[in-house]
Amino acid sequence: MDVDIKGKMTFRGGAHPSQNKKLTEDKEILPGPAVKQLAVMLSQHIGAPCKPMVQKGDIVIAGQRIGESDAYVSAAVHSPVNGTVKEIALRSHPIQGRSLAIIIDVDTKAEINTPKKPALLSIKDFDADKYTSEQICNAISKAGLVGMGGAGFPTRVKLDPNPKQPKTSLIVNGCECEPYITCDYRMMVERADQILAGIELAKKASGCLEVFIGIEDNKPKAIEVMTEMLKKTPARQNIKIVPLKTKYPQGGERQLIKAVLGKNVPTGVIPPMIGVVVLNVATSAAIAEAVISNKPLTHRVVTVTGQPIANPGNFYVPIGTSVGDLIEFCGSVTEKSVKVLMGGPMMGIAIADLETPITKTTGAITLLNEEQIGIEKHKGHKTACIHCGRCLDVCPEHLNPTLLAHAVRKNMFDVAEQYYISACMECGCCSYICPANIELTGHIKTGKIYLAREKKRMPK
Amino acid sequence: MLKNITVSCSPHISKNMSTRSIMIDVIIALSPAMLAACYYFHSKAVIILATCIISALVTEWSCNLLQKRPNSLGDFSAVVTAIILALSLPPAFPFWAAIIGSVFAIGIGKMVFGGLGANIFNPAMVARAFLTASFGALMTTFTVPASIDQAMPQMSAANTTAITQATPLAWSKQAVKKQCDTTTVNDQLKASITGNIGGCLGETSVIALVIGGIYLLIKKTIDYLIPLSVMVSAALFALIFYWIDPQMYMSPIMHLTTGGMLLCAFFIATDPVTAPLTKKGKIIFGVGVGVMIMLVRTLGEYPEGVMYAILLMNAISPLIDRMCKRIPRGGKAPCQK
Repeated sequence: MDVDIKGKMTFRGGAHPSQNKKLTEDKEILPGPAVKQLAVMLSQHIGAPCKPMVQKGDIVIAGQRIGESDAYVSAAVHSPVNGTVKEIALRSHPIQGRSLAIIIDVDTKAEINTPKKPALLSIKDFDADKYTSEQICNAISKAGLVGMGGAGFPTRVKLDPNPKQPKTSLIVNGCECEPYITCDYRMMVERADQILAGIELAKKASGCLEVFIGIEDNKPKAIEVMTEMLKKTPARQNIKIVPLKTKYPQGGERQLIKAVLGKNVPTGVIPPMIGVVVLNVATSAAIAEAVISNKPLTHRVVTVTGQPIANPGNFYVPIGTSVGDLIEFCGSVTEKSVKVLMGGPMMGIAIADLETPITKTTGAITLLNEEQIGIEKHKGHKTACIHCGRCLDVCPEHLNPTLLAHAVRKNMFDVAEQYYISACMECGCCSYICPANIELTGHIKTGKIYLAREKKRMPK
Repeated sequence: MLKNITVSCSPHISKNMSTRSIMIDVIIALSPAMLAACYYFHSKAVIILATCIISALVTEWSCNLLQKRPNSLGDFSAVVTAIILALSLPPAFPFWAAIIGSVFAIGIGKMVFGGLGANIFNPAMVARAFLTASFGALMTTFTVPASIDQAMPQMSAANTTAITQATPLAWSKQAVKKQCDTTTVNDQLKASITGNIGGCLGETSVIALVIGGIYLLIKKTIDYLIPLSVMVSAALFALIFYWIDPQMYMSPIMHLTTGGMLLCAFFIATDPVTAPLTKKGKIIFGVGVGVMIMLVRTLGEYPEGVMYAILLMNAISPLIDRMCKRIPRGGKAPCQK
């Protein structure tokens, strides 16, 4: 292969946490555990939570819609299995605390419920021109698709053509800059054609003129496979693969746009407002499934990883599987682990309740031991801020994290606002790099929550 | 299966770096200068270094005790302060006065402000200013390294027990009147490269200081902007005066290699606590320090201006930071325009 895979483009700032992707990089996507019970969250996305459409005791079948909302910014949820609704109860949600979930007892005898690998789509005679933009958007909406990279913004809302602001560029996010996680990488290696089909559909639906696939150059195999797959179909010549420098947070929407298109997204603006759509590779694959075979988003690939896990790997699991079930399925925990994360170590959420179910946005379960957390941090080697300025250097949004954190700590929220606290995207680079081990990101998050609450309270 | 799992805010990993490791890096970078001082000034250097370090640690420990604060000796910042103070003292400085300086540096220069990270002024320079005010004669009496005999003109003999000699800078102030010849200048330049010359303990050896500085730059412990802007601005300033009258003023190279210029550029001005945070601010700070040093050296009454330059720029560094407010990559938010 004479593909130039050395990434040249990137953004300014950022950090280089150790990747640790070797643990699961070469593990094929395998079927997940056979579970007895699922808890499907009614709110797995940004926007209005769904209302349950089933009642206790109802019999549901795989793919049946069990929750929906009238709001525009929302996404329906579907039952991944055949079974009976046990109850509608509160479960731990990784972000929202306790929130409503539909608990389904799985009918273990049904053939459809046996764990399997992601189905291979038959896309031999696939032609994106067969579908109209509206058809694609409706199929996506019906399937309840959300951004599977982490934020969970409803895909339909992203793609919907807006006559006032025509969309020009579609960027597909294959960066996966978080350490440890490999679910997107495996999808690119194993299901490249499906991803490309999804990209074509998304392009058709949104009316974008150009398509870029951004992949970090620490995934040479993914770049190779995707390039080869592109060459096979002449119709896909307008899709370009862009190798990017390996740096965290390269996969952040704003950083990716900066790296690929060279333009900064204005503060407080989301990319669709400037005509750019960013889609995760897993979302693209799900679009293909939703449009071609009318399959709603009920399963996803989850990386279970971390040094304490006996058999780390990538698994195709129904949404609603509990974290505890998955960890157990991967063998016992070999070392003493101190943290269980939903997501990667940089932006993932530490959970206390192993009953917490997998949602549409959960890409990984990461277990960390003391050493991985950082010995210096774990021992509590904290000092006062020495004003070294490292957090300023790594901040991808060009903010002043130490000043923001200090302002929040001293309850000077007006100062924090003057120094653009709202522009922070909580990537965690500042806390990662801080030699004094100050929880800068934590302070800034607290400040943002406080300010949001104040704004709600104050009449305009 | 899983017990005692902890919950905290993301990110959950951190770079294996601490304030202590940064301070240890600085100490390693200062060690060539310390070794050079010990080589040229023998026991005098060892005594001053040892008394400074020990008294600094004792002061920090007792201040913590008095202020009911957790023990902070482990961050080694007191050691760095003590070494920088010791290296900027003259070799013949009596040890009891060095102890006073060290206690002042930690006690008044750092701990009264609230310890590490809270001080406005560089503690070592605060102490040096205090010592200059209190023991003016002792602070300007420079002995020659034990290894050389009198190669350069003797200027003063305030202390009869030590062979004293003017530092190149003090000498240049006098030379203004004498119309010095170029061979003497070249001799001095050669001598100051290795450090075989009169001056403060750690300021004489250019090679040792540059090795230390390069180590810090390679390890990225310090930002290259401050040393660069200090040296470039000082050199340009010197160049202008040298062009005007090479007989009256020293060449830029002479200015860079003598006195506390390199110690200042690599170790004193780069003290993170008292320097600005932003890149722009660091450049302004560095240029300010460089220009201020040269103003004192060329136009002022004193031969050396590092201390004054640092203290003055420290005082305005919070203002510099406020001036260089960072604007987010995406520009100001619509509501803040």
